[in-house]
Amino acid sequence: MAREKEESMQVSRRATRSSTFSANNNGIELGKPNDSYIPTLGDLVFGQEPISLDDLLSRFPGRRVQILELLRLLGTLNSSMPPLFVYGSASTGKTSIIIQVFRHLSRPFVYTSCLSCYSPRILFESILNQLLLHKKNAFNGYSSAKRCEKPSDFVIFVREALINVIDSLKENAEKTSTSKLKGQVNGKMIYLIFDNFELVREWDKSSSILPFLFGLSDILKMPEVGMIFISSTSPDTIVLRPFCRITKRVDELSTAFSLLFKRYCEPLSDLGVLPNGEMKRRLFSHLQPHIAPSLNEIFRVASQPCLECGVNQETRRKGGARKSVGSGDLDDIGFHMSTSAKYLLVSAFLASRNPATLDASLFDTTGVSDSRKRKRKASEKSLEQKEAAEQELLMKGPGTFSLERLLAIFQCITSVGEEEEGNDGLRVDEGSNALMSDILLQLTSLCNSNFIVKGGSCPLEGSTRYRSTLSEDLAIKVARSIKFPLSKYLYRR
Amino acid sequence: MGKENPAAEKASNLLRSRLCDPNFVVKHLSDSPDSNYSKLKFLVSSSVTEACNNSILLLGPRGSGKIAVLELILTDLLLEYPDTISVIKLNGLLHSDDCCAFKEIARQLCMEHQLLFSKMASFDDNSQFMIEMLRECGLAHKTIIFVLDEFDLFAQGKQRLLYSLLDAMQSVTSQAVVIGVSCRLDADQLLEKRVRSRFSHRKLLFLPPSKEDMQRLLEHILSLPVDSSLPHAYAVEFNKKIKNILADGRFKEIVNTLVNLDSTVNHLLRFLFLAVSYMDLESGFLSFENFKTALSNSHRQPKLECIKDCSILELYILVCLKRLEVKEQNSYNFNSVMKEYKSIHDSFQTSDYYSRNVCLRAFEHLLQRELICFTDNRGYSQSVEFRPVKLLISSIELHQGLKSYCSCPVILLKLVER
Repeated sequence: MAREKEESMQVSRRATRSSTFSANNNGIELGKPNDSYIPTLGDLVFGQEPISLDDLLSRFPGRRVQILELLRLLGTLNSSMPPLFVYGSASTGKTSIIIQVFRHLSRPFVYTSCLSCYSPRILFESILNQLLLHKKNAFNGYSSAKRCEKPSDFVIFVREALINVIDSLKENAEKTSTSKLKGQVNGKMIYLIFDNFELVREWDKSSSILPFLFGLSDILKMPEVGMIFISSTSPDTIVLRPFCRITKRVDELSTAFSLLFKRYCEPLSDLGVLPNGEMKRRLFSHLQPHIAPSLNEIFRVASQPCLECGVNQETRRKGGARKSVGSGDLDDIGFHMSTSAKYLLVSAFLASRNPATLDASLFDTTGVSDSRKRKRKASEKSLEQKEAAEQELLMKGPGTFSLERLLAIFQCITSVGEEEEGNDGLRVDEGSNALMSDILLQLTSLCNSNFIVKGGSCPLEGSTRYRSTLSEDLAIKVARSIKFPLSKYLYRR
Repeated sequence: MGKENPAAEKASNLLRSRLCDPNFVVKHLSDSPDSNYSKLKFLVSSSVTEACNNSILLLGPRGSGKIAVLELILTDLLLEYPDTISVIKLNGLLHSDDCCAFKEIARQLCMEHQLLFSKMASFDDNSQFMIEMLRECGLAHKTIIFVLDEFDLFAQGKQRLLYSLLDAMQSVTSQAVVIGVSCRLDADQLLEKRVRSRFSHRKLLFLPPSKEDMQRLLEHILSLPVDSSLPHAYAVEFNKKIKNILADGRFKEIVNTLVNLDSTVNHLLRFLFLAVSYMDLESGFLSFENFKTALSNSHRQPKLECIKDCSILELYILVCLKRLEVKEQNSYNFNSVMKEYKSIHDSFQTSDYYSRNVCLRAFEHLLQRELICFTDNRGYSQSVEFRPVKLLISSIELHQGLKSYCSCPVILLKLVER
């Protein structure tokens, strides 16, 4: 781990992957630079320059109390420690603080994440590989040092490995100098860090792995081993107050803030200038109208802005009245889909919303639908029934449909579309067989992107049934883009 | 950090290693002739000397020192009777599967007696081997002591290991002692009839120490040795300060609070570790404030802390869920929460009204934080908005959390109180 970091530091910052490959012999010969590398005890330490305490405290603003408490609990060199459990919600800095603290102290540790090591066997083998200083490379066929599946084997192997490591640490401690070198190993203790520990709960339903890991320090009974568990179940301050009303997570706020910050900087021609009080006020008033709509956009994942969109927005802004950011893309779905996929989506939506018995009347073969019911005066009972039905719709969610029904609706709709659009529509008659296989492929891709999910099988026939997960807003948008009159076909109770 | 006091560092390290080492504490507690230590020691040594079989259960809550006492006894006995005892240790967490257990027994026996252990041996081979070893050791007047940690986990399933072990003890000429250790006080009720009939119903209960014992223990742990490598004057001064703190009435209150929560020795040791980690390394003395800070930090309330970390929108969602719960609907999901949210907005004209997508994300955050959870286990075919949810915090916790939230909107407090 340490050596790879060193090598990556030597490559210049702006190098792209292809250029580094071409720099090393066409990149075809694999494993060449790492052949003769023998891992040493120094691999167990962080590997880069150790940092001072002030550096550590300044990297994590607002975490002074926690860092100092952590340092106190870890104690001075070679002081024993009971297992430590660090918890907090997501992206609060637990993992990074602990790793940086270990970098500051230059003490050896073994880090495993229960996210990447998703089963007990992978977890055990990862720990053993690190302790035995074993690297997976082409020579040993990328296999682990020892095959270890059960906790009983793990205890035996890890005890041996830990004893070896502690002995070599003791030897290392005898002959060490006092200056802080890079890669220097301090102390005779080794620490095991388990990250994302809350995922261990879901590993096995017989739930013996969790108490085993917690009790590992009691089972091993080795005072030179310290254990740290990091979990996100079982807190930070940010710049703009209103956003904290929605979410306090740093990673989500950062996307919103980066966009706003760009807008904030727009009037400034020279970004190097530090704004004074007056300028700050003016800049903020420029920003103000954009804050409210961006509050509602806060969870939008930023897609690559294309240059044309930027130009369009400019012209739109200059042209008419000042539109706010959000309303411009009311009609815009935001992703591209083929026409047949859109028709499939609409038919799936209809199939989920309408009960099957209505299909015959809604979609008869002439393609003309007449769902205008004569409006009767609503009596109190029917109003109550309507409310109850609405409630039921809220609770139960979209209904299931079979594949045949979906395809039948699809054929009806596309024939409607063809008639309405004239010659521009889909040609269903020609080569309808070829279109059918395309349709099934389209359906698979819609299933994979979770627009249509499997809803369990029909109890009588045993065939699988599907369910559409499209929200009504998105369905309306899709229908509008293919100019399909969705409201005529929706069953309104 | 200030100047470092090497004597203070050494003292702190010494105290920490004492607190992490169970033997130190147990040695002190086991001095009296009435203690569990003496009783157990008497039992085991008499079975060794009189060459008879025995079985006993050690029961007590976690952290009462059962294994520590056992380890002490075993080390003493191994010194007294060097060649006549071999110890086999099994743990319920690791070896509850019978094949695993027999393999481990065979492995440990082979290690003890320098025999070759084959990993490929089958279950039958291993069990045969164990019975033969028992017979041989019985004939050679050697006792095998089986320590079964987490005994209640061995009593799950078919209890084959227990049965074969206890049966062998009765039928074969063997000298074996089976010591089961469990934190379940009803561990012997879990045994099958045929196993229980072969088990001698001896139980040793590990009770929490009395107040006087606790006081003596505290003094013993926290006093520095006067005639060691630490400077003499410093150690004497340290011990005097400790004596003053221990005699203080407020300190006794703190200890009472701790003991009321959890009266095991382990809990006390964890608290002392926390206090020692707060020790001021410049002056090198423990003060009463260290203990007070340790107490407040060891009594954490994770759910309240969780609520403090929530954003205001998430608090709104929690309050809506609470109101739905109060209205006693059978089940509710995200859509019903949104309806409630809208009705609150309509009646009170709050400024915090956000779009559906934003609220859905906030809802997912709450799920991640485990303040709410889904009530159906296999409803994976439904999307998040339709799956029924329930609250995982009580109304008292929610109320407390809202009250201690620094900028909680007044409307939320009013809604919860109604």
